[in-house]
Amino acid sequence: MSAYTALSQAGYRASVRDKTTLFFTFAFPLIFLVVFGLIFSGQDVAESGRTYISYTAPGVLSWGVGNAAVFGVGFALMQWRRDDLLRLIRMTPTSLVSVFASRYTLALVIGVVQAVLFVAVAMLPAFGMELDSRWPMALPILVLGVTAFLAMGVIVGSIASTPEAVAAIANCVMVPMAFLSGSFFPMEFMPGWMETLSWALPLRYFNDAISAALVGSGDLGDIAVGCAGLVAFTVVFGAIAARTFRWSNHS
Amino acid sequence: MQPTSPDPTPGASSTGASAGAEAGGTPPGSGEPAVELADVRKSYGSKPAVDGVTFTVPRGEFFGLLGPNGAGKTTLVEIMEGLRRPDSGTVSVLGHLPSKRDAALLPRLGVQTQSSAFFVRLTAREHLETVAALYGVERDGAKRTLETVGLTAQAEVRVDELSGGQRQRLAIASALVHDPELIFLDEPTAALDPQARRDLWQVLRDLKGAGRTIIYTTHHLDEAQELCDRVAIMVRGAITALDTPGRLIAAGTGDTRLLVPAARLPLETARALPGVANVTVDGDMVVLRTSDSGVALAEVAKVAGLEGVQTRTVSLEDVYLQLTGPS
Repeated sequence: MSAYTALSQAGYRASVRDKTTLFFTFAFPLIFLVVFGLIFSGQDVAESGRTYISYTAPGVLSWGVGNAAVFGVGFALMQWRRDDLLRLIRMTPTSLVSVFASRYTLALVIGVVQAVLFVAVAMLPAFGMELDSRWPMALPILVLGVTAFLAMGVIVGSIASTPEAVAAIANCVMVPMAFLSGSFFPMEFMPGWMETLSWALPLRYFNDAISAALVGSGDLGDIAVGCAGLVAFTVVFGAIAARTFRWSNHS
Repeated sequence: MQPTSPDPTPGASSTGASAGAEAGGTPPGSGEPAVELADVRKSYGSKPAVDGVTFTVPRGEFFGLLGPNGAGKTTLVEIMEGLRRPDSGTVSVLGHLPSKRDAALLPRLGVQTQSSAFFVRLTAREHLETVAALYGVERDGAKRTLETVGLTAQAEVRVDELSGGQRQRLAIASALVHDPELIFLDEPTAALDPQARRDLWQVLRDLKGAGRTIIYTTHHLDEAQELCDRVAIMVRGAITALDTPGRLIAAGTGDTRLLVPAARLPLETARALPGVANVTVDGDMVVLRTSDSGVALAEVAKVAGLEGVQTRTVSLEDVYLQLTGPS
């Protein structure tokens, strides 16, 4: 069995055996969907004329997927360093590429399952989201989004040395970003400067591309811009992650 | 190869001679030495942790690294493992530079991990199979290694539900699963009960018998005296003594101690005995130091009888305490 397969299997087992985390990973975005659905039920977003839920559901989804990617790898990396498991890996001939490839696979599987579950629930009559015919394009976008946020999670997991620090840093980044990127509220409700600022955030690109693919709130150009943005952020975060990565907490 | 000792009692009088002879029989080792250190130095800030260490460990040797906490043992071992880069000096491990994370070298090294370094929520067997895969060896090595360290019954127990001693044995198993040539163990018997400790001694003897090189740190001096071909004593970052346990003991002060029940031997009488250098009281025993235990014992037999009298020859522990104690 290759190191990649073994690590993926170990990660998969660790995930499915932690029922609480597993449940909340998938329930978290759904809870937001329900809350926003209840608050804004029946309302339309004035300028676009679309229902609120069709506006907000893709945004909540991309935020939920990004959140899971950041927290998942952030916690794993911090924990592996704290428990000296990374030191064990350091002493084997296994390459870091295999290590991260296994985490990547795991994050992709989680992201796809999250998306399928979320879209299925959002399409229930109670929420009434309607899929655009372009919806299959959401899959490659999802992959690019998971990649960018996974790279961000590697940075978080390398900086943080305790679970508290992972949660604090990741929340500090992800929660304001959700609001600033229009995941929870339509960008139309926000002041102009905030919309300008949102272009500096990876979630904005993820939101735009996913929305365009799932509910048709944009054209192919929007999808292309979103994907390009995610690739650019992956490169930047990847470069920072390569510099911040450490095998051990001791110098 | 290693003479099997029926019952290794600390301080047993014959240990010195046999250990010396045994170390003399250590094979010179094939090819390059297992480890070669030359003037290795490492400081944290202005505090030197390893302060000019030079020694060579030949292939097949069982090498013990002893010293008080904070002496720099862990740093030195981590330098040999390649986890830390020395500030100066040269390190060669099986002919390679260890700090480079050399894929040709790593599978030949076995490193005991911390007793926390397990893949979460896996069973002992699953963890070890994962480690085997990381080393690129077949997974059946995991089952065999669990048996070696006596964890067969715990194979299907989750790592977080193992006891302290079991976790430690699993951590040792992580160092053995890929059948390495050079094994680093960090206080492998620290959390083990006496039976598990003796079982592990046998595992280590078998590994040595199979030609493996073992470098290990310990606080159990009786164990080092029993197992090691050579022992290095490290104090404040430097090696203050390096030799076979037998020769270290022989070079230490040669006084034997006789312990006589105090009720039968008044202090004044004891002090007047021929051949007795010094007399102290320890609880209900009078302790006589002598360089000629034959004469002193005969004298004690005359005045107090030999019932309940104990003799203590110099052990590695005495030498260790002399070398590491406050000078």
